[in-house]
Amino acid sequence: MQKINRNVVLALLLVTSLAFLLFQVCYYKFYVSQKNGAAFSKVRGSLSGQDSTRWHVVRKFLGLISSHNIPVYLIDPLILELVDKDIEQIRSSPDGPSSECKYFCVPRDFTTFALLDKTWKHEVGLFRTAEKMGFQWLKIINKDPRLDGMDDLSGMEIPLHYIFKLASHAIHLVVFYERNGNYLWHGPLRLKQHMDRKFVPFRKLHFGRYPGAYEKMELLHVSIDDLKVQIPKNPSSFLEEISHSRFLECRYREARAFFQLYPDDASLDAVEFRKKAKSLLHLAALTLNNLGVKFWLSSGTCLGWYRQCNVIPHSKDVDLGIFIRDYTAEIIPAFQKAGLPLKHKFGKVEDSLELSFQGDSDVKLDIFFFYEEDDHIWNGGTQAKSGKKFKYLFPKFTLCWTEFVELKVHVPCETLQYVEANYGPGWKVPVKAWDWKSSPYNVQTNGVWPVDEWDNVIQIY
Amino acid sequence: MDEWKPNPAVKSHKKRSWYLAWKYKLMNQRALRKLCQTGAVLFLLVTVIVNIKLILDTRRAAYEEEEESAQDYDDEMLNVEVPRHPVNNKKVLDVEVYSSRSKVYVAVDGTTVLEDEAREQGRGIHVIVLNQATGHVMAKRVFDTYSPHEDEAMVLFLNMVARGRILIFTIKDEGSFHLKDTAKNVLKSLGSQAAPFLSWRDMWTFVGKKGGEVYGEKHAKSPALSTWGDPVLLKTEVHLTSVEDAECHWPDTELNRRRKRFCSKVEGYGSVCSCKDPTPIEFNPDPLKDNKVFDVPVAVIAGNRPNYLYRMLRSLLSAQGVNPQMITVFIDGYYEEPMDVVELFGLSGIQHTPISIKNARVSQHYKASLTATFNLFPDAKFAVVLEEDLDISVDFFSFLSQSIHLLEEDESLYCISAWNDQGYEHTAEDPSLLYRVETMPGLGWVLRKNLYKDELEPKWPTPEKLWDWDMWMRMPEQRKGRECIIPDISRSYHFGIVGLNMNGYFHEAYFKKHKFNTVPNVQLKNVESLRKDAYETEIHRLLGEAEVLDHSKNPCEDSFVPDTEGKVYVMFIRMEQEADFTTWTQLAKCLHIWDLDVRGNHKGLWRLFRKKNHFLVVGVPASPYSSKKPSSVTPIYMEPPAKEEGAVAVPAVAAAEQT
Repeated sequence: MQKINRNVVLALLLVTSLAFLLFQVCYYKFYVSQKNGAAFSKVRGSLSGQDSTRWHVVRKFLGLISSHNIPVYLIDPLILELVDKDIEQIRSSPDGPSSECKYFCVPRDFTTFALLDKTWKHEVGLFRTAEKMGFQWLKIINKDPRLDGMDDLSGMEIPLHYIFKLASHAIHLVVFYERNGNYLWHGPLRLKQHMDRKFVPFRKLHFGRYPGAYEKMELLHVSIDDLKVQIPKNPSSFLEEISHSRFLECRYREARAFFQLYPDDASLDAVEFRKKAKSLLHLAALTLNNLGVKFWLSSGTCLGWYRQCNVIPHSKDVDLGIFIRDYTAEIIPAFQKAGLPLKHKFGKVEDSLELSFQGDSDVKLDIFFFYEEDDHIWNGGTQAKSGKKFKYLFPKFTLCWTEFVELKVHVPCETLQYVEANYGPGWKVPVKAWDWKSSPYNVQTNGVWPVDEWDNVIQIY
Repeated sequence: MDEWKPNPAVKSHKKRSWYLAWKYKLMNQRALRKLCQTGAVLFLLVTVIVNIKLILDTRRAAYEEEEESAQDYDDEMLNVEVPRHPVNNKKVLDVEVYSSRSKVYVAVDGTTVLEDEAREQGRGIHVIVLNQATGHVMAKRVFDTYSPHEDEAMVLFLNMVARGRILIFTIKDEGSFHLKDTAKNVLKSLGSQAAPFLSWRDMWTFVGKKGGEVYGEKHAKSPALSTWGDPVLLKTEVHLTSVEDAECHWPDTELNRRRKRFCSKVEGYGSVCSCKDPTPIEFNPDPLKDNKVFDVPVAVIAGNRPNYLYRMLRSLLSAQGVNPQMITVFIDGYYEEPMDVVELFGLSGIQHTPISIKNARVSQHYKASLTATFNLFPDAKFAVVLEEDLDISVDFFSFLSQSIHLLEEDESLYCISAWNDQGYEHTAEDPSLLYRVETMPGLGWVLRKNLYKDELEPKWPTPEKLWDWDMWMRMPEQRKGRECIIPDISRSYHFGIVGLNMNGYFHEAYFKKHKFNTVPNVQLKNVESLRKDAYETEIHRLLGEAEVLDHSKNPCEDSFVPDTEGKVYVMFIRMEQEADFTTWTQLAKCLHIWDLDVRGNHKGLWRLFRKKNHFLVVGVPASPYSSKKPSSVTPIYMEPPAKEEGAVAVPAVAAAEQT
């Protein structure tokens, strides 16, 4: 009896599994055919260890753009990493033949190139030729951020990304724009409703999750894998930039709403102050950038950017933040050399450091040093006459680029939390009477400096 | 599977015996049985593996899809596509046209496309052109044929309209007084029967196809001179044709695609839409050698005068050394037609929501345009500012290319302008000559970025101040004693006669006779002498060689200047202090040059040409050049006629010539 059962069970299972298998095979086939065959190319690539499809597509693409005189350059992080390792060799033999296909044959779904907007005319012809060559292409356009800050200007939408697809490989062409503040900007990749979400695996693209800001770069003509391309002259510094290139646009619409509520101060004093603050900020940025010290807009200056996209005219100083790990002793002499004498120095490197420099006529530059703890970040304050210490607590944050008074500068990416920590939920309302010891929302008393340290931790010039 | 139940008792005996038979048969072939069993197990395993793979794969795909559609990659402004009007398959349009003394309107398929009941406005014949395939309004014009010459403009316009278009006419108030026979004949040729008999204060409506059928006409005679004809309302139907019939068949190029788009939307641009021999929309003028202004952005400030813009852009794009990529047209308002013109030429255009009113609106538009220009071209050190009612000289960019370095290097300069306020047909002579002047002429000029960013932009007049931007820029607080460089013969020509501060009379008097350079590649003379100090040396040299005119004669008389050519003459007028322009204004008036305010002066000196001689006017004693006056000469004093005081005030408002 048991034996019968076992056989019956087996037979029945066999039949059902056969049925299932059939169904699954059919389904799988159907499912795979829906995809772009990307899965296949991967399989093929990994089997042979090389993927000549990619090389061929890139070559075709380079042919396409050179026939239209469009100067694109390679910014694919994965290839640039490889290139960077051999950079000396590649530089020294710009036309040298390479024996093997080393860079463009690594199997990938796409290769990323960049294009500087001003270097080409938006010719329709390019896309026709592309189509003739068998490329499918997708264009991602959006509002022009350079007009975003303007009262009610509406220009044409500008192209931010192009994707050219041939066979199983796609070329992602990122369009860079020059912006006020001498930097390059690329837009986010956002799909509009009618767009084909499966055109390429958008998630995997290296550029486009966020808008990005980059330094202007010099380019280098090289020949790699028998293909003539341009690459950033210094691939390693470009690669370094990619990781923290995220750019935040100022909240122009909210700023306009703010000015509706609280009309801007257009008095001559305000105009004068803004002008001075702007040039002070430019000078400070120049000085710190030369030292390679990373800084961000802090306190009132950050609030001004976040709330009104401008300097708050009654703030009377410019505030910057620097992580204490980025502190170098060169900061003070560098500022003095730039014509900004030290006004006071509070605290010490180990604790509550704060520097203040005297800018042109009354405008002060305050630099606060930030100390990182496990779950928060803080900076310190010191009252000169009493030696009292204060502590300002912030939630952890990372740094993003933004544009402020024609300058590319850092701000905390989590700006709202930063501003709210500092100014409380009422940050939207301008406050003219401000006391740094009591007004900030996140101020805490932090004891008193021991008297014997005063000479060191309270220096006023 | 359904049949199989764990309790075998339920099964029938027959079935059971079949199983048993099968079992015993198998028992006899043990090996085969074993094989089957192993096979089955293997099969099961495979199924399980494939199953797992499928599940994983589907999940990954689902995850990917989910991610892809995650908000990161979606446009956050859910671009709600404006539902397009369903394609109008209707072949017939209902047209309603009304004509009366105080009101006209035209409705197409129930949509009012023209309605004018404003008082004291819109007198004359209103003309509307419809696309014969789509029924879209392509042009709307009003010709005040009560006034002279307007009928000629109407004839010109009607001749430009392509054959096959639908024309709608209606009269408001009066449209016959200056409607000459030529115009009446054109109307008659369109099929109007009433046109030849249109007379004083008649009401008239007419709908017809150019070169084709008449859809309807109504005419009401005025019974007496003092009264108007009864209002007439014409209701008719128009049959639409197919799109192909309404289009020309130009070769399929990118240019022609732009042309096609343009021509299916608007009318009244003449041969640009001609089927047979359309006028080019790409000009490819010669490039300039060593063009210093190739990368300088050009901002074209425009309002809603698309025909002007069309003319302006044509001349701009024909100028040697033009770089179309640097041109941006800023349109004050969401007007479609100017944008169509911009797109026709393949340029980029930006629309600006109007802020404030009148002069302040223009001011705000200027500010937005300039700011946007420097945002769009962050590398630019300068911007060329043009207006939609200017013709641009063929050597405009050559002129700027030769002089722009001065603006960069000489801090005492405020701008370079293509316009000489005093450069009339009879007072300008030398295309290679430049001046320094204390006034800012505008009308085609170059602005330095740091001047704008550091000084002008932060304190630009706010919308509630109803100021003219150019008047504001001329104020000493802004100009701070700096000067502009101008050519003797203007490189721009102001052709606009309708505008905020403009009318036909004013244009005739002050702009029409302005000299405009048409010579290409003019080599400018002695550009370096335009620098601050060098210019003083140059003036002193000029004054040194200048012949003093006979101050006993009337300076307004032609004989005041001898009948010579190529000489330098100087005269001295009375000018008590820096702001005393009494005599100058009188002199300017009788010389028929700009006299509405003071223009073109440099330290109390004016330079112009009379009878092809260089003619210098020095204000004594305010001018530092007064020392050049021989002691024997008494400066000429001219008294302002007392009566005209009031008259000056009116056009003074109009002195701002923009828009």
